[in-house]
Amino acid sequence: MTDMDVVTGPLLEATALRRAFGTVQAVVDATLAVPPGHVTALIGPNGCGKTTLMLMLAGLLRPDGGEVTVAGLDPVAEGAAARRHLGWMPDVLGTWDSLTCEETLTTFGRAYGLGSEAARQRSFELLRTVHLAEYAAQPARVLSRGQKQRLSLARALVHDPAVLILDEPASGLDPRSRIELRELVRSLAADGKAVLISSHVLSELDEMVDSAVFMSKGSTLGADADALVARARLRWMVTARPGTDLRAVLDSLGREWEAAGEDQSRAAVQVVDADDAADLLAALATAGARLSAFGPAGSALEQAYLTMEEDRR
Amino acid sequence: MTATREAPARATRARGAWHLTWSGIVLVAQLEMRQRLRSTKWKWALAVFAVLVGAVTLLLEATVSDQGGGPGDIVFGVIVFFVLFLGLLVSPTLSATSINGDNKEGTLAPLQATTLSAVDIVVGKLLAAWAASLAFLGVAVPFIVWGFIGSGAPLGTVLVTVLVLALELLVVCALGLGWSAIVSRTSASAVLSYVTVATLSVLTLVFFGLSLVLVQEPVTVRTYDANWEDGKDTPDGCTWTEYTYDQPRTDRTWWLLAANPFVIVADAAPSIDQVSTSRYDSPQTMLGSIKYAVREARLGPQTVQNNCWVGEREPELLPEEIARRQQLTGLSAVWPWGLGFHALLSAGAIWLAVRRIAVPHGKLSAGTRVA
Repeated sequence: MTDMDVVTGPLLEATALRRAFGTVQAVVDATLAVPPGHVTALIGPNGCGKTTLMLMLAGLLRPDGGEVTVAGLDPVAEGAAARRHLGWMPDVLGTWDSLTCEETLTTFGRAYGLGSEAARQRSFELLRTVHLAEYAAQPARVLSRGQKQRLSLARALVHDPAVLILDEPASGLDPRSRIELRELVRSLAADGKAVLISSHVLSELDEMVDSAVFMSKGSTLGADADALVARARLRWMVTARPGTDLRAVLDSLGREWEAAGEDQSRAAVQVVDADDAADLLAALATAGARLSAFGPAGSALEQAYLTMEEDRR
Repeated sequence: MTATREAPARATRARGAWHLTWSGIVLVAQLEMRQRLRSTKWKWALAVFAVLVGAVTLLLEATVSDQGGGPGDIVFGVIVFFVLFLGLLVSPTLSATSINGDNKEGTLAPLQATTLSAVDIVVGKLLAAWAASLAFLGVAVPFIVWGFIGSGAPLGTVLVTVLVLALELLVVCALGLGWSAIVSRTSASAVLSYVTVATLSVLTLVFFGLSLVLVQEPVTVRTYDANWEDGKDTPDGCTWTEYTYDQPRTDRTWWLLAANPFVIVADAAPSIDQVSTSRYDSPQTMLGSIKYAVREARLGPQTVQNNCWVGEREPELLPEEIARRQQLTGLSAVWPWGLGFHALLSAGAIWLAVRRIAVPHGKLSAGTRVA
């Protein structure tokens, strides 16, 4: 490796990407940037173009327009070099049924140019990481769906890429594996990798991602969506004991509130920041409200997503 | 946070779809063999193949010796053709679903996402399919050698025959692979591969047969006929007569035969047959007869015919006939044309396959998805 130069900007960047299949415009205008050490969620309804976008980012699909850079390289002009820095986990499970887990990973390691011994060592290491070490010598066909998903994740990591594109990595995973996935993704980000992850389980993404890119009908939503998420993150749910007229108490404190269902003892309050939330809690207690629950109103991403969906109906 | 990367040197830019690496080919070939051969009842297929070829060999031996020791060459010729026939049947099954099958299973895209080039993947798959076909050929080789020993053909015959058989199997593998890249449905690519094999080995013969009727032109033929007079037992010398009638112009259609794998194998094998310029005789061996029949077809209609059979003795060859026979032996071989044509077809199939799986995908054909 000669002439190392330093990329200080985003490791994965897309600007005004578009792609059509025949007359179907799958991606209309997609822009996103994932800096090193960041995990970014790609969120949107089924058929909004997430997978097409990810395929373009992974260098498998040629964009009709716009630009992609992966670690500073253009996946169209410098395909193999860009793919060397990129780990891609597809949403479709594909495993060579007759190969053992170890052989599968070793083959991929070698396909990325590792030596056979290095590839073998890396494959055992990754099998331990995704808790499939005991299946090392088993053919992939005996694996369950969730185990195959974990093998597929290990496959994306085999060449230690700087950029990771994970398409629905959590689908089919059991609760423990989901938690482990979250921890693995966070530790990869801590190593300075840029991770783009798509999932429909938004409450899980909340704890995993640093930022989110919303996508609808082929376009990324950009700043509007970021504002929605930021707003959703500061939405607090206040629950008092039944029979309390919480709305009246909030009115008396001069706070804006939103009804949370028919129940008068529950309300959602928009706070300014954590300090404001603490002040609100103190004020409510002083006002004599008997609270049973006080905290962020569930998944910010989920709320932002639902708000956006409502706007679009 | 910062990250480092290699500068986009010229070398990295050149690593496109056509960047062939030996390690890449071997890796893909290995993978294919593990994936496809482990999952099939491979040994059983080889055993059945051996039994079939063995049964045909034994039956032939018995039949030929029953007829009072006919040429052992028949055994050799028929075994070679039978092995080619089975090889042409077996080979497409290995390659004709190789690319679209992987695409369906979702195992192609992760491979395309690696630093392997498209040509690594295609050539690796081709070599794996060929190796499997060669295993079948390998099983048949003892029987071919067995037939050869009884045939009295020169040693080169068995070597060239096996080599050309192997090359023809490679051609069929390449064509199957091409179809598997072009067509998204595995059943369709399998059918198209068999149609291609049938076109080359059967339809070329059918078309040639039709051309015998369709491609005819009036040709003036001089015949040297015996003069038979009424009441006499022996003819009174011979005279020349000119007739003009429609004759098939095989010199224009012989290339149909050259594209036939069976003709290629027959033509390439050295044979003991010689075209004599002093006697009327015809080739004795099976493969040799085919070889000279095709070369005759190349010369086109014969314009001089000697029907002057007077007395016990065989007539002498006419000067025109000697010239034709010299021309016949002077003809270059037919198989380089056929094999060359097959090589072009295969190269085209491989080129298409590489184009099809090169990433990033431009246009996608209907019914395919990347992953």
